Amino acid sequence: MDLDPADDADLLRAHGAGDPHAFARLYDRYDRPCFQFIRGMLGASHADAAEDLHQETWISISKNAAAFDPRKARFPAWLFTIARHKVLDHFRRQKVVILASAQDDAAMMVRDPGPTPQEQVESRELAQKLVNAVEALPLAQRGVFVMFAQVGLSLEEISNATGVGVETTKSRLRYARATLRLALAAERSTHV
Amino acid sequence: MSDHDAAPDPIDQAYVQAEAVLSDDEARAARRARVLAAVAREPVTPPAATFSSIRRPAWRRGGWLAAASIAGLGVFVAAHLYQPALRQPLTDAAAPAVQTAAGPNQASRGIAASPTRSAGVPSRTPPPTPRAFAAAPLTATPAPADVQPVAPPPPLLMIPPAPKAFPAAPAPAPPPPAAVVAAERGSLLPAPNDQRPLLGGASDEAVDAQGVTRGAAMRASRQAIPSPPPAAPLTRFESSARPRSDQAARLRAAAAAGRIAELETLLAQGVPVDTPDADGNTALMKSVKADHPAAAALLRGRGASLDHKNRAGESSRDIATAKGDPELNQALGLGP
Repeated sequence: MDLDPADDADLLRAHGAGDPHAFARLYDRYDRPCFQFIRGMLGASHADAAEDLHQETWISISKNAAAFDPRKARFPAWLFTIARHKVLDHFRRQKVVILASAQDDAAMMVRDPGPTPQEQVESRELAQKLVNAVEALPLAQRGVFVMFAQVGLSLEEISNATGVGVETTKSRLRYARATLRLALAAERSTHV
Repeated sequence: MSDHDAAPDPIDQAYVQAEAVLSDDEARAARRARVLAAVAREPVTPPAATFSSIRRPAWRRGGWLAAASIAGLGVFVAAHLYQPALRQPLTDAAAPAVQTAAGPNQASRGIAASPTRSAGVPSRTPPPTPRAFAAAPLTATPAPADVQPVAPPPPLLMIPPAPKAFPAAPAPAPPPPAAVVAAERGSLLPAPNDQRPLLGGASDEAVDAQGVTRGAAMRASRQAIPSPPPAAPLTRFESSARPRSDQAARLRAAAAAGRIAELETLLAQGVPVDTPDADGNTALMKSVKADHPAAAALLRGRGASLDHKNRAGESSRDIATAKGDPELNQALGLGP
């Protein structure tokens, strides 16, 4: 993803000044990763709320455009921080209890399957399996994985967005990857 | 932990590819139109109100300063409102006189007639003794002993009663001379025609002069009111305007010095007879310790307690017994 933080800040500033096209340009840059992040965070059981939360996120971006300080964070970090809070607020409203996964340690012990993941997702069916596996990750791991893989945020930015340390972020990312490899390995075994 | 975690992983790329495969352009376009329409309906917050971390309003930084300024202003105003009254404890002579004469009017004016107790006077202090001059302005005769006294108005924050509190009351008859009051008590006072025998000291003279001057000004403003009597009654009212704690201290000092005339004056003004000092000593104790039988007799006659104990646990009775002075014991009613 080609990110230009200066341009993002300029677009936000222009939007605050009344430029009707600036916000649309900014939206087009981050629409896809933002929606996928929200949908991935919500999981399959709350996928219906993805559209609404996505819209709420961008409304918040618009209303608080003047509060964005490019010296403190890049725009995508700010955007996904807001999106993450929207998801957590949704879970809070729905009284969803977020539990840590008990399979984290087991996932770490899974060996890397032979074929590369890219080779496995060439079909639409396998792509859906992988997306489902991401959505089945524990919430904390899911957020870190999507922000890192899809959005391209650095570990430090993810740490700031999630309010945890860099080491914790690394650990969550590692667990998420291991779990997804395990899911792909199981999928390969069923296809063989 | 290694840097390998921060590097892109094949599973990351596989996920991006999977999302691309599953991407629905039509749904995305519909979502875009919906979001942008919703954003267009929402107003954008002005920058001045949202850049709080960069441009903080001055009042946020100076909130404590504003509070301190308000508090300081309050202290300043309070000091200027109340200090002149404390520095000027003397009130116009006509005011207490009018108050005395207008006793029944007090209820209609909503003025409390309950006995007052100055700050610092212990709660065990008995109610003020009857004031002989209280009924005098109305009758021009000495008051009977069972006449209920008219208590002075309660002092507010130790401020003497203001003379403007009773501006339209009729002028009273002159109170009886102090010697008349004293005659009732046992002829302990000198010359009945002495208009000013009851107050002594240079400070009291100054008080009189100021009081008379202000009283004259008040009289000039009320042409319909007959002239008040000469200065002697005025000095008594001026003294009554002082805080009770000061008057109680004066009573104790007069008892210790055996100044009968001053004792009479203060007691006639309703100064509580048993108000103790910091050591718990009452006026009677001081008169007994100083061996002033006349003063002790006067205080006993006004109801001073023989059994009130000071902080050392001594009562007037104990002190007198220890002294063994027959005259003193007789004055206290302890002798044979």
